[in-house]
Order: sequence, then C-alpha cells, then structure tokens
Amino acid sequence: MDFILQLVTDPVAFYQTHTLLIAEIGINSILASSMFVVLYSGQLSLAAPGFMAIGAYTSVLMGNYWNTPFALNLLVGILLAGVVGVVVGLPVLRLRGVFLAIATIGFIEALSLGVILNVPITGEGLGLKNPDADPLGGINIVLASLAVIVFLLWRLTQGRLGHAWDAIRQDELAALSQGIPVARYKMIAFVLSAMLAGYAGGLESHLNFFVDPTEYGVARTVQVLTFAVLGGSGNVLGPVVGALFLTTLPEIVRVPNFDYRDVIAGAILILVIIFRPQGIVGRGGLAIIRPRWWPKSRSSASAPG
Amino acid sequence: MKRERVILVFLAALVLAACGTTSSSGGGGNAYAGKTIKLGAILSITGAGGVYGPQSRDGMKLAVDQINKSGGVNGAMIDLTVNDDASLKAQSAQLAQTMIQQDQDLALLGPTLSNSAVGVHPLAESLKTPILAVSTTGIHIVPDCNYPDETPCKYVFRDSLGEQTAIPDNIMAYAQDAHPKTGVLLVAQDDKFSSDGGTIVQKTVDQYGIQLLKVIKFSKTEADLSPYVTQAVQLKPDVIFITSLGAIPAKIMTEARNEGWTGQFLGGNGFNTATVSKQAGAAGKGARSASAWYIGNTFASNADFVNAYRAAYSKDPDQFAAQGYTGIKIIADAAKRANLTFTDLAGDRDKLRAALETVNIDTPLGPFQFTSTHDVKQTVWIIQMDGAGGFTLVHEIKPS
Amino acid sequence: MGQQVLNAIFIGSIYALFAVGYTLVFGVLDILNLAHSAVFMLGAAITYSLVVNYHQSFAVACVLGIASCAVMGLVIEYICLRPLRRRRAPPIAALISTIGLALIIVAAVEQGRQGSIFSWLWVDGANSVSFPSGTVPNPTWHVGGLTLEATKVAIVPVTVALMLVLGYFIRFTQFGRGLRAVAENPRAASLMGLDVDRMITLTVVLSSALGGAAGILFGLAISDISPYIGRDNLEIRGLAVIVLGGMGSIPGAVAGGYLLGAIEVLALVVFGSNVRAGVAFAALFLMLVLRPQGLFGAQVHERL
Repeated sequence: MDFILQLVTDPVAFYQTHTLLIAEIGINSILASSMFVVLYSGQLSLAAPGFMAIGAYTSVLMGNYWNTPFALNLLVGILLAGVVGVVVGLPVLRLRGVFLAIATIGFIEALSLGVILNVPITGEGLGLKNPDADPLGGINIVLASLAVIVFLLWRLTQGRLGHAWDAIRQDELAALSQGIPVARYKMIAFVLSAMLAGYAGGLESHLNFFVDPTEYGVARTVQVLTFAVLGGSGNVLGPVVGALFLTTLPEIVRVPNFDYRDVIAGAILILVIIFRPQGIVGRGGLAIIRPRWWPKSRSSASAPG
Repeated sequence: MKRERVILVFLAALVLAACGTTSSSGGGGNAYAGKTIKLGAILSITGAGGVYGPQSRDGMKLAVDQINKSGGVNGAMIDLTVNDDASLKAQSAQLAQTMIQQDQDLALLGPTLSNSAVGVHPLAESLKTPILAVSTTGIHIVPDCNYPDETPCKYVFRDSLGEQTAIPDNIMAYAQDAHPKTGVLLVAQDDKFSSDGGTIVQKTVDQYGIQLLKVIKFSKTEADLSPYVTQAVQLKPDVIFITSLGAIPAKIMTEARNEGWTGQFLGGNGFNTATVSKQAGAAGKGARSASAWYIGNTFASNADFVNAYRAAYSKDPDQFAAQGYTGIKIIADAAKRANLTFTDLAGDRDKLRAALETVNIDTPLGPFQFTSTHDVKQTVWIIQMDGAGGFTLVHEIKPS
Repeated sequence: MGQQVLNAIFIGSIYALFAVGYTLVFGVLDILNLAHSAVFMLGAAITYSLVVNYHQSFAVACVLGIASCAVMGLVIEYICLRPLRRRRAPPIAALISTIGLALIIVAAVEQGRQGSIFSWLWVDGANSVSFPSGTVPNPTWHVGGLTLEATKVAIVPVTVALMLVLGYFIRFTQFGRGLRAVAENPRAASLMGLDVDRMITLTVVLSSALGGAAGILFGLAISDISPYIGRDNLEIRGLAVIVLGGMGSIPGAVAGGYLLGAIEVLALVVFGSNVRAGVAFAALFLMLVLRPQGLFGAQVHERL
C-alpha cells in the first residue's frame, strides 16, 4: 500500500528507488508486445520464452567469450531469434488455435529442458554468470526502446500489413480468397514476434548478474499470455497495460505481515477478465480459437470492450 | 563542608552513571537512546522457498523481541521489516533496491534462496549496504558474490554454513565409519542448489577413495523419479548421494528402499528439516547429512533459545530458525560497537560493516565469528534421520 | 530393463488418469481448463488432511476428498466459465479465469499453516508430505528381479476401471448421450431441448472428480503431496498426452498417457537421463506437425 502513497506524493524519488521494478515493467511490456503481434494475426503462439532464451544466452555468451559490445551482442541475439523463428515457424504455422499453442509449448520445453540443460557452454543447470550486468543503469534503454516499439507496432497496425493481419485473424479462408498471402504474412508476424522476444530476453539478461535456465519455461509463457489477454490484444496498448498492471499487482497488494497476496492476485485476475472479457483495453473480438459454438465475431469496429 | 559537598556530588554522579547503564542484553550504555535501528529482511514466505522462509522469520522476530524487551541496542529499538519475495529472483532484487534506497534500512538479511542471492548480493554490494545471508549455502555466496570483478565482496556476510564445508565433512565422517567404495550421484540439474552440491560431491569423493559410478541428472519438477532411481539401484553402489531439497530426497529414498537397495544415503542441507525426515519415514532411517545446528546441542545460549522459541510458537525450532535468530544477534552486536551516528546513513553502513567483521559472540550455533572471507566457522553436526520424523546425532566435528 | 518397463506403465497410468479430465472438458467445451491441475492437487491435499489432521479412515477421506473436488468443479463452472459464456467472451478468456482460480487454490494450500486462515484445509504450508505408512496396506513383492509395489500396481486396474465406467456412462446413459450431443453441436442440442448449461456443469464436475481421484492415487503411489504437485510437470505432460492421444478422445487420453510414459522411459534408457523431458516434448512437437489429430482424434477440419 505504501507503494501507491509514495508514487503519488514523490514521483521523482519513487522513480529513483524503483528502477528495477520499472525496468521489469518495461521488459514485460516488450514481451507483451511480442505477444500482441502474434495474437493480432490470429496465432496463439506461446513461443516467446524460447526466443527470449536465445536472445539472452547469445548476448551473454558473446559478451563473456568475445568481449564484444553490448549493442552488437543484442543485435546478434535478435537476428538469431529471428532465424530460429523461421525454422520453427515453417512446420507449425499451418496448425490452428490450441494446436499451435501446444506445439509452441513443445518447442520451448524442448529448448529449455533438452538443449539448454545439456549443452555445456550454457552452464547447464547452473546458468550463466553475467559480470557486465548493469541493473540500475539499464532502465533508460528499456524505456526508450519500449516507446519506439509501441510506436512502430502502432504504425504497423494502421498499414496494409496490419489490416491483413486483422483480416487473417477474423477469417483465414476469407482473407485467402481476398488475395492476401496468408502464409507469408503469418510467418512475418511470427518472426517479428520472435525477434521482439529475443530483444526482451537480451535486455533482461543485461539487468541481471545471472541467466537462469528455469526462467524460460511454461510458467513464463503463461505469464506473458496473461499480460496480453488481460490487457486486451485488439490494440497495441492493451498488452502494455496488462504488463503494467500485472507486474505492479504484487507490490500494490503488499501489506506487512499479510501472506495471502497470491489469493488476492488470483481473485483480481478472475474479476477483471469476467467484467472486461475483451481485456482492460479491449476492442473488437478475438476469435483465435473458434470452437463451433462461440458467437461469430462482430466486425472489429465494434463498441469498446 | 566542602568535602561533604564534593562527596555528595561524587555520589550523585555515581548514581547518575548507574542509572544510565540499563540492563540491556550484554550491558553497555545508552548511547543510542531514543533512536531506531531499521533492518530489513527479504525472505521467501510464499513459493517454493516458503519451506524455509517462515522459520527464518520466526527466529528473527524472536531475537528482535528479546533484544527490544531488555533495553534494545544501547537503548535503540530494532525495527525489523520482513518482506516476502515469493521465491522470485526479480521480486527479491526489487525489494533489495527499495529497502536500501527508499526505506533506508541500515542493513539487510536474506534472501532465502541461493538463486535470488545471486542477484541481490551484488546489488547490496554496489549500493554499499551490509547484507547477512541466513540460509543460502551455495558456492559463490561469499567471498565472491558474483559482483563484476569477483573480488571479495566487502558488504556480504553469511551465517549459514556452506555446502562447501558441510558436504565434505559429511562424506569424510561416513568414509571413516564405513569405508564405502562406490557411489552414485543423483542431482537435479535445473536447481542451482542441487547442482552446486553435486559439484562439491564430485570434487570430494576421490579424496576418500569412493568411485562415482554414475552421475544421474533429472529435472526438479518431475513428478516421478522412479526411472532414475532404478538406474542408480541397478548399479549396486555402496552410497547414493542426494543433493536436492524439498520433496525430492524423500521420494528417492522411498523408491530406492522399495527396490530393495540397502546402502547408505548421504545428503546435503536439503536433508536438514523435520518435514523431509517425516516424509521419508522409515525409508529415510540412517540417512546422513551435515547440519549447522542440532536441537540438543549444549552451547550456552541454545537451551534458552529453544525454550523461548517453543514458548512463543508452540513448536520446535529448526536450523533455519536458529540461523535467523543468530543473524539478528550478530547485527545487534555489531551495531552496539559501531558508534552509529544515525544521521549519516552511508557512514553508518560502513561502520556496521567494519564492526561485523569483528563479531565474537555466543549464539545457539555456538561461539560465532566470521572468517576472513565473511563466512562461517563453527561446529558441524553429523546427523541421521531416525525413521520417525526426527534426527539423532552421530558425530560432532569441531571447527579446525 | 524390466523394471524400467514397469516404471513406464505406472507413470503412464498417472498421466492417463490426469489427462482424461482435461480431455473431457476440452471435448465438450473446447476449453483448456487450467485449474485442473490445482483440483488434482486439492484432492490429494484434502484427503491427506482428513486422514492426518481429522483422523478419518482412508476410505471416508477419499470419498470426501473426491466430493470436494466435484464441488470445486461447480466453482469452476459458475465462477470461471459461465459468466464468460454469458458475456460472449472470447474463449481465450477462460484460460485466464481458470489460471486465476488455480492461483487461488494453490496459494490457499501453500499458506495453510498453524494459525493461518487456511489451517482447516492444510497445515503443512509449502512442505511435501506423504500418507503415513499403514494408511493403506502396501506390500511390496520382488518377482524375478523386479519390484512391484502394491499402490503402484493398483493404479493400472483403477485407471482401466474408471475408464470403462466412464466409457459406459458416455455411450449408454442419457447424460452421456446429452454430453455427446453438446460436444457435437451445442446449438442443435439446445434446440432439441437439452439444457446445455446443465450438461456443461456436469461435465466439469465429473472432470474435477476424476482429477481429484487421480491426485489421491498419485499421492499414494509417489509418496508426495504438496501444493505444487500437478502444477509443475504434470500440467504440461497432461497437455502432451491429450495431443498425442487426440484431443477430446478418452481412449486417446489413456493411450496417450501410456505412450508418453513409454517415450520418456525409452529416452532415459537410450539417451541418458538428461534428455528425458526434452525428448518428450520433441515427440509432442513431431506429432503435432505430422499428425495433429493424434492417435485417436477426429480429423482436424476447418471450422468456419
């Protein structure tokens, strides 16, 4: 509770003493944006943590072994995530709905349990040490890049690609019949999402002295999914709002000697989604998984959620 | 007349001096009267670390109450805030920052888990705040706390006996008792604590002529460990080393006994709680580990601690409660000698750090002093599970 | 090697039992109920508390434990699912509400300590416990170099029996027919006079009861009950199983369970212990790419 008090009474001091928290909000927002891209194009891909891992490990390993500058390491991490995105995307993108979700879960678990834990260079179970980490200084990059990313994604949704994604999400067959190269555009979304996640992973590793292999599993992907769905994935800002809300929630309900935070958090999740099923910043339907009996989505210019 | 007045003044001065010395624990002045010593503890009360956090908290609170009730530290009351990091690294680090920069705590204690400590300790070091680890036992906690240059960290201390000491002592004791020839190591490869322990085992066994037949790695979240235990048992080793914590040791031991294996279990800190002994039940009988504390130890302040804990919480303390309790005692002692100003936080933190290095007090863990690397030097207790949810003492290894 | 085959069969049974509840809900509602693993855990936890803290006999505790899980099924339907259906929410929203409920259930058990508000439910906090020896007779037989433990052996016939009963139920009773109608085409079913909401409620209750039963068996056979069983690997293994076996297919869930158990143990024996989990998911991935409908699922057709 004092969290809010301090924020309101002395925002500058709040900012200075909570840089780690704000940086985490920023990174979670970037991850949520990565989720936005795939959800907006109708793909329930849960692969983000896998690409994060690629970004994180690549950037730290390069820094440790080759002493290359951070910016370069990050870039290589992003590109590598993109390449893996293509490789993984090719077979899975023809899967629909929940099947795609499970396939991507398979990918991240196979990556973290099968590959990372068994390849000596990653430090296996012990993780990687990152002596170049800068926990208190990284916040500037994080916030700046978040702003850029959100702006770019917004522009994207306004343009032809964005409209195509919207159409694909609503009805893939219809989009195909309109001449939209569905497979190619879906792949673009998937790879873009992979690169964003790789970037977030690389950034996150820069804020910690330690890359932990257990951070990139199903628990992480559920968390990121929750950001996007709770925030509302019809709009670029939705997932960012979701990330902001959920990352600060544990701090808002932090009361001395009260150990039931998770109970409250779970209750809040349920309440929010029931009263705003389209998400906090909802707009339009979200027909990702469409079993036969959910009502057909109305046009995307419907009333705000 | 003059002489009488002098005597009167002299007597008055004596009386005043006597009044000034209240019966604070360990005696000593009223220099800090009216001030508050703010301490912060980052503990895992929820999440997987919640198996240890609450006990640390209870031990700490008991110490704080005792100290405050008997006059505080030189008259200053201790104000301890305990925050839960939900066993999450990110929250742990954020809490550290907030408590250091916003709450302006003089010193920190914790965090509970080694995984979190990797992020929190370097942060405390870079922000020049003393931090005392009360339950982390992995490698690289002290002296090199992973801060950029790996030089000894100045502000990080530990009162929890490290696995680097505990595991080898345990293996040595058993090797001297029974001369085992072969062993198998079961290690949870995605758990830092277990991996660290596994590394230590592998480095130690050669010294005692034990051949490690196989190192079996598994994931700590696996529901059923039978296939791994089967692999181990089929090799017919004399010893099975288990370096995990939580539910894993009991599961392994139960399965191994079911499959007919009759050898010796040797473990690390993960064995040292009553719940593990209880969960393992008869299968765990005789399983050995090295503990930093034993409820029946005869050190001066232990009996008082155990009785006070039982009175306050209606249950027995464990190793984590003892280490938490000791942690507060250590900081209180250092604070007393540090000549704190209460106006210059940075200066006070540095003075506290210096005073910590020279702590030398009686605690439930025994006579306590830090080594030159801010680590623990104390008696090691070799204990074994009694098959009924408790432990019995096998050996007492005094510090060299 | 023989012992490893046995291990595969036992773990396969547990996967199968866990997955059946999942697949039941998915088949009828096309929703992944992510509170299922929490209910699984609750079954074990409540039964344990009844035996150890309330001194009930194991049989009574089991019945009450499973009944509590059935009640939790009601909670899932009335709080997490129905309000979303009423508000015409996107199906993905149900994922979030069930995640929220799972969070609450796990936290409630985790904070069950002496003196906390949940101490009536559980007093062991985050710790792992096991049923006291002697709760059920559990002889161990050693036959031809193999170890057979009664509780583990019992899982197989119990699983099979439950599946047969469930199968009979679905094929030959009125409720079962109603379920299949709703699964096939809910609009048509409601037009024919079926109370779809009631069918759904019963499905979720049944699925939760099965989950609770699976949890109790798990606690018995693996000697591990804590707030975290179910959440860690079992939840995603459950997903892998229903994919391998075919979503919505009950015999598929059973077959998938044994298949996954076999793949995992095979990977362990052939490749070494480290890759066991990774191989399982690689297999999952391959199945989805090559044959998304799994072993027994219906052809995945376009839904317009």
